[in-house]
Amino acid sequence: MSPAPVTAKSARLVLDVQGVAHRFGGLRVLEDVNIAAPESQIVGLIGPNGSGKTTLFNIITGFIRPRSGTVSVNGRDVAQDSIQQRSRDGLLRTFQTPKVFDHMTVLENVMMGMHAHTSSGVLATMFAMPSARRELASTRASALQTCERFGIAHLAATRAGELPAGLRRVVELARAHQAKPKLLLLDEPSSGLSGPEIDTLRGWIRVFASEGTTVLLVSHDMGLMDVCDVVNVLYFGRVIATGPMAAIRDDQKVRDAYLGAA
Amino acid sequence: MAFARNKLLIAAVAVVALLLPLLLQRHYVDVMVFAGLYGIAGLGVALLLGQCGIVSLGQAFFYGIGAYSSAYLCVTLGLSPIFGIVVGAALSALIAFIIGWPILRLTGFFLALATLAIGMIGGILFYEWDWLTGGTLGIGGIPTLSLFGFELNTPQRYYYFVWAIFLVAIWLSHNLVTGRAGLAMRAMRDAPPAAEALAVDMHALKTKIFVLCAVLGSLAGSLFAHYATYVSVQSFTVERSIIFLLIPVIAGAASVWGTIIGALFVALAPELLSGLGDAHQVLFGLALVLVVTLLPEGIVGLPKLVMKRFGA
Amino acid sequence: MSWGLFWQAMLSGITNSFVYALIGIGLAVIFKGTKVINAMQGEFAVVGGIVTVFALQAYGVPYFPAALIGIAAGALLGLIVDILFVRPMMRRKAGEESFLLLTIGLAFTISAGLLYFVGRDSYLLPGIGGSGVVEMFDAFIPVHSYWLVGISVVVVILLRLFYTYSLTGLAMAATSIDPIGAATNGINVTLMRTYTFALGGAVGALAGILVAPLVSVNYHMGIALTLKGFAAAILGGLANPIGAVVGGLVIGISEALAVIGISSGYKDIAAMTVMIIVMIVMPNGILGRAGRRGG
Repeated sequence: MSPAPVTAKSARLVLDVQGVAHRFGGLRVLEDVNIAAPESQIVGLIGPNGSGKTTLFNIITGFIRPRSGTVSVNGRDVAQDSIQQRSRDGLLRTFQTPKVFDHMTVLENVMMGMHAHTSSGVLATMFAMPSARRELASTRASALQTCERFGIAHLAATRAGELPAGLRRVVELARAHQAKPKLLLLDEPSSGLSGPEIDTLRGWIRVFASEGTTVLLVSHDMGLMDVCDVVNVLYFGRVIATGPMAAIRDDQKVRDAYLGAA
Repeated sequence: MAFARNKLLIAAVAVVALLLPLLLQRHYVDVMVFAGLYGIAGLGVALLLGQCGIVSLGQAFFYGIGAYSSAYLCVTLGLSPIFGIVVGAALSALIAFIIGWPILRLTGFFLALATLAIGMIGGILFYEWDWLTGGTLGIGGIPTLSLFGFELNTPQRYYYFVWAIFLVAIWLSHNLVTGRAGLAMRAMRDAPPAAEALAVDMHALKTKIFVLCAVLGSLAGSLFAHYATYVSVQSFTVERSIIFLLIPVIAGAASVWGTIIGALFVALAPELLSGLGDAHQVLFGLALVLVVTLLPEGIVGLPKLVMKRFGA
Repeated sequence: MSWGLFWQAMLSGITNSFVYALIGIGLAVIFKGTKVINAMQGEFAVVGGIVTVFALQAYGVPYFPAALIGIAAGALLGLIVDILFVRPMMRRKAGEESFLLLTIGLAFTISAGLLYFVGRDSYLLPGIGGSGVVEMFDAFIPVHSYWLVGISVVVVILLRLFYTYSLTGLAMAATSIDPIGAATNGINVTLMRTYTFALGGAVGALAGILVAPLVSVNYHMGIALTLKGFAAAILGGLANPIGAVVGGLVIGISEALAVIGISSGYKDIAAMTVMIIVMIVMPNGILGRAGRRGG
């Protein structure tokens, strides 16, 4: 009796969560959760505190293995894969508080986005093999372009740890953009951002989708959810509604469970 | 402008370094040779500390493996020195891999104390396995090295040889830390979850650097054995590991070039303080404590700290 | 090997295990209060032991006050370490590895200082209850060993009572669990940390005084004591004094088995190996950890 997911469309599913359940000790936190994210769409996941959002997020990213159910990325079940395996498969997450590399420059941070797409080993790097030097040079050039695009080129040589929260988020997004993930998971990306900064964030999320990245946006910020094609509402471990934001707003169950509470 | 001045400074230092053995007394050339030897071993520790945030207190173990491999293969088995150096490095790499793979799952204090325990186990084994190491009597009569028929049998000659190797090792490390692997290392030190999310295989990377550190330690140990021509357990204690660790701490671990300063410090400071007898060790320890307490970025960070406090 | 020799080795291993437990408890006290692993905990023991020896033998102080002076010396050392070094580093929020480097550096300095002031000799204290022995399982156990075990058990109980019932103990525990919360409740967090270091120093010194009659103390033994105490503490899960006693027993008995099975030279190897394996296989200690980390 799970709510019908929007799989009817012919679009390929980049993320397909089927029947995921999880419990901590005796406490059921997720029960028969189904969420689907078709290619290049922006899918939202909202729910009040304690609804199981974070647990579900951690299951999708691989920090937690679910008790039951499948998590498919590009049609392959990754529920038991490690975090690195998932990231090599094109899954990338951001963090509630932006996790930038504090002692590295902004440019180096963005360069790190390319890690999974480059291959120079320890020895090749040490002996400055031509292949390693070429790869590094092209990584740097490409990262610099990304910095320009995100409007942080003037900060390229600044240590990321010295930046204010809003810019740290931009650096994190630029790094994510450099990684060109198939599936981008954003964990409360608007936390700590000001109004205009959130507008910019909304713009970047659309850019990701328009360039072929599927986005799963986890947040309790209803305002930000406008950017989503489809929103899933999680309440006490179950998905109680799925649909476009406009429909979600009018859904009586959601009003009772979530909007009313807020 | 600043760049040209830097170049000039480097050229001046290079000239002094080249002329040094001709100007110094033999004893001080000897000290400079040890600075180079310790520097090579300390560079390995610097890579672990500065790039991966790992405190290694077991480097003397690998230093010992290199030294005993050279001593045993050359003296007891009568093989050519190159075998001792290569076997020592290979053995160190293998042991570092076998030990490193499990213990590098640990972090922070726990990892550091595990390396300390390994250093102590190593010291005890060198002592107990006297059939191999000669125990406290040690192994003497280790041949000096020769390079294309050129005997490296004086401190002056060995000075050039060891420092050339040290500088090459620094250059290789410099490439490493500024390249892809170095970025990944610093990323995992700064924010492990984010590095992992970007597909950095942290455990494999740490293990590789641990192995590299061990190989540098072993190489330094082999070179030490061929210079001193005599090795015994006293050279491979935990105190020696602490001295190797001091090199990056004193200099500021983030910079691989800083290990030169650290190496000069650990070799020269005891010499300068030796007039004080046993008290020089106390001052040496205090220097470490004061640097850790007052100079979080080591001597290399000193100008910045002074600027921040008094200047601009 | 005869049963007598076997029991001799086992019982002396068990006696040693209480020394390791005491060092481990000192480490755990400091870790609990400050989240710092104190790599110079063994030096507290060495300083405590040597100060007691000098008070007793060079200045003719009677046994019991001499031991108190030794304990006070350990506490004072802890106090100085905290005020001079730990405080400024806490203020600038130094990382874990900085504290490790600090305490390793202090261990090195104190060991060198002891070498300078008291030389390479080993110092022996007379045993509590004299130098007599008691026969047990065909083995001869010094009377002092019974005192050592008894005093260790009393210390474990007293510490437990201190942390559960005394206001200072509760404040010290609160400081470590939630420094900001403790500060808002009017607890002087910095002062509590100083108390913690003094207490850790006192417990460490006591361990040194108790071990001195059995194996004597010298300038060089601190680091090995630290490691074995650390082994005992992590075996016990790092927070629990009773766990440290169990951990100490595991280390002491492993050492005894190495002595019996191989030779006395391998004693330390056995202890260190057990420590490394436990850290990897049982990161929460042999007793496990009561609560999971929330989140």
